[in-house]
Amino acid sequence: MAGHSRSRRNWMLDVGCWMFGVFFRFLLLAPFLLRAQAPPQLPPGGLAQLQVAQPAVDVTTPVTATAAFDPPVVLAGEKTFYRVTVDATESSIQWPDEIAAPPGLKFGPDARGQLTQFLGDKFRPLTSFIYEVRATAAGHFAITNFTVDVYGKPVEIPAAGLDVVAENPNSHPARQLVLETSATNVFLGEPFHVSVMLPAGTNNEIEALREIQINGDGLMADKTASRQSIETANVNGQLKPAFICEMVVTPISVGPLKLSAQGFTAGREFTAPIAIRGQVTIPGGPTKYVLLVSDAVGINARPLPVEGELPGFTGAIGTFFYDPPQLSTNRLRVGEPAHLKIVFHGKGDLTRLTPPDPPRSPDWQIIADNPPDTGYTLIPLTNEARATPAIPFSYFDPASAKYVDLTIPPLPVTVLGEGLPVQLPAMDDGSDSGAPLKLSGLAAVPGKTAGSLKPLQLRGWFVGVQLAPVIGFVALWRWDRRRRFLEAHPEIVRRRQARRALRREKRKLQKAVADGDAAAFVQHAAEAMRIAIAPRDAANPRALVCADVLAQLGSADQNNRAGETVRKIFAAADAQFAAAPQTGGDLLALNSEVEALLQRLEAKL
Amino acid sequence: MSRLLFHRCSSRREEAPTHLRFTIYDLRFRFKPRYLGCCIVLAALICAVNFSRAATNDFFAQGVELSRAGQFPEAAAAFEKSAQTQPAAGTLVNLGIAEWRRGHAGAAILAWEQARWIDPFDPRAGADLKFARQSAQLGAPQLKWFETASTWLPPDWWVWLAGASLWLAVGLLTLPGILRRRKAGWQRALAALAFGIFLFCITANLGVVSRTQTGFVLKKNAPLLLTPSLEGEVLMTLNSGEPARKLRTRGNYFFIYTGYGTGWINREQIGLVNSE
Repeated sequence: MAGHSRSRRNWMLDVGCWMFGVFFRFLLLAPFLLRAQAPPQLPPGGLAQLQVAQPAVDVTTPVTATAAFDPPVVLAGEKTFYRVTVDATESSIQWPDEIAAPPGLKFGPDARGQLTQFLGDKFRPLTSFIYEVRATAAGHFAITNFTVDVYGKPVEIPAAGLDVVAENPNSHPARQLVLETSATNVFLGEPFHVSVMLPAGTNNEIEALREIQINGDGLMADKTASRQSIETANVNGQLKPAFICEMVVTPISVGPLKLSAQGFTAGREFTAPIAIRGQVTIPGGPTKYVLLVSDAVGINARPLPVEGELPGFTGAIGTFFYDPPQLSTNRLRVGEPAHLKIVFHGKGDLTRLTPPDPPRSPDWQIIADNPPDTGYTLIPLTNEARATPAIPFSYFDPASAKYVDLTIPPLPVTVLGEGLPVQLPAMDDGSDSGAPLKLSGLAAVPGKTAGSLKPLQLRGWFVGVQLAPVIGFVALWRWDRRRRFLEAHPEIVRRRQARRALRREKRKLQKAVADGDAAAFVQHAAEAMRIAIAPRDAANPRALVCADVLAQLGSADQNNRAGETVRKIFAAADAQFAAAPQTGGDLLALNSEVEALLQRLEAKL
Repeated sequence: MSRLLFHRCSSRREEAPTHLRFTIYDLRFRFKPRYLGCCIVLAALICAVNFSRAATNDFFAQGVELSRAGQFPEAAAAFEKSAQTQPAAGTLVNLGIAEWRRGHAGAAILAWEQARWIDPFDPRAGADLKFARQSAQLGAPQLKWFETASTWLPPDWWVWLAGASLWLAVGLLTLPGILRRRKAGWQRALAALAFGIFLFCITANLGVVSRTQTGFVLKKNAPLLLTPSLEGEVLMTLNSGEPARKLRTRGNYFFIYTGYGTGWINREQIGLVNSE
């Protein structure tokens, strides 16, 4: 046996060595069998094609600054602009909050802007500061030179002079932008169009605008929806060609709002496709970037009315409608998705239209499409669904100042069930008998019933039922105590019995009096007296005689009328057993004495 | 006619003379006219109950016929009406079959669980549950030991058994003293046995009460929410027929515990075994 196990152990050792040998050879061959992932082969110069040389931004060249009034000669009270231009980034310039100016100059609104100009082989930033200035009196005004820090180094802003004259035959107003709005009384969140116009200069020369910006608190400008054109426009009552940039602005706060526009003249640098209508001249030569501003325009933004708001309002303001909703299929299975396509149209800003949130439905799982798509993916969760759920949606119509319902209506569908199996193949897991599992047949009878699925433990009346045995046991215990008490005091029972029997005999007595039956009267009167005195001696009433009754009356009463009555009654009662019974017409006359006597005896019970 | 005689002063029977014994009570039955009214009301109640059962049976028979005709949605509605009027194990088994055949796995499992609630000995409900869970790859509710014990008998049996065993034990211990009899050994042994049964029944009753919070997901892909609100974040979706345990309620939502986690679910998407 031992030799057998040793040979078996040696055999296992041989197998182990053989497997180790195979594994070791595989390790040795691995470098030849495995091939590393080859790097992608690029053609010569391919990497260079991926790299595009970008011109550098020039911030090293010494910064220069210019300052001037535009126009330099004005009438008293006429508007002019003090413009400072620095070829540096706006953030690098430590611009003072106030500029020292002569007392005769009144500074108005200011603006600042920055652009990047392309100088052939490099970019150079350019920043302009512009102030609206009015002189109160004629004369020569000068803003002296001053120094500001740019890139941490002092840069001198040169002096600028303004001549204010009493008459200026060659005067021409300061060049500025014109801002027009499509509406001045809007609702909060209602987009409206603004037109920023740069009228043609001398010789109908038209310049483009760059870095157009709408200034004003409580406003949001949408630059992505801008449109540029050159056409004839009415500028201050004169028809003249103008560069027009249309933008969409949305008020985001209520109340009176001020907005103005600014932009740099950009010569013929049109940054987007542009439509030109009419005869215009586009100047050549190097571009001169000049920051222009417009006068401020006031609008009034009203809040949306709270009352009348409809379900599904997502902030859409305007006039909207949609094409008939299209469902990808109207016959689907449980869990199978279907797509509901909805295309909105309208006069409002459709780019910012937020489609309604998908409603929660117990029968449907609804997933909204990713913006800007406005469809929904609907997944039925049950075959009880007969229609797609209505999707509440509404918008606010600023023209009528009312909310308008635009709910997406339900569409009829047929949802098929899941088709659950009624039989499963036999499972050969050894735990069962091997018979296929299948649904049982229908029960022929209702079977065992229950009053309710709510268990008795949770029903209130059941607690009351449990009180019944408690009450029973308490009653039994009280009865036992009472019984023990009466056993200790039997006279209580005797007196109670005597009173009850006495009342019974009294009724018989009265009946005998009413019937005129003297014999019965005597019999019941004697019996009543016996009963009334029986408890005192713990005796049977039938065993008592006249002397016992007289003994209870006391010595004084024995010889008076009461004693006489007792004797007469008992004598008459005893005479009932005589051969010739006594006729008792006069005995009935004793009724009142008997009643009084019985009352006295009863009181002693 | 019965005649009950109670003799007082029995303990002093030796002392008192024979002629002093009193007859105290005479409880003989006498027919009174108001008893006739009670009999009529009782008969009317019995007739009403029988009429209700007849209507229930009508719905049941209608459901069976519709099931045989393959009209399972209509059959399920008929069985549901029958079960609402008079819950019965066979009705609920048939309701489960109709729901299963129309593709409602959750409602079918709930109906079979309710059938087992009424009659744990019904073999069809157990077999159908086993088949459904194996077919839909669903698990059975995880029961604690006292809940498992409570499934051995119908729920109402446990409470009656608990009441009977308690009062039997109390009666066996107190009645001999009240009736002035000596406590026999067998009475004490029986009282101890009854008290033991009562203690076990208490745990089983706890299991019954605990099992009333068991429910099953009715809708496919029912969302389990982080918060009890319409906009609540969906933690996961549950399969139809998935077992769950209700922990608390808030508005139209139940906070449930499932094998996959806890969360809120709309009460329309889950059915409790004790649905009342």
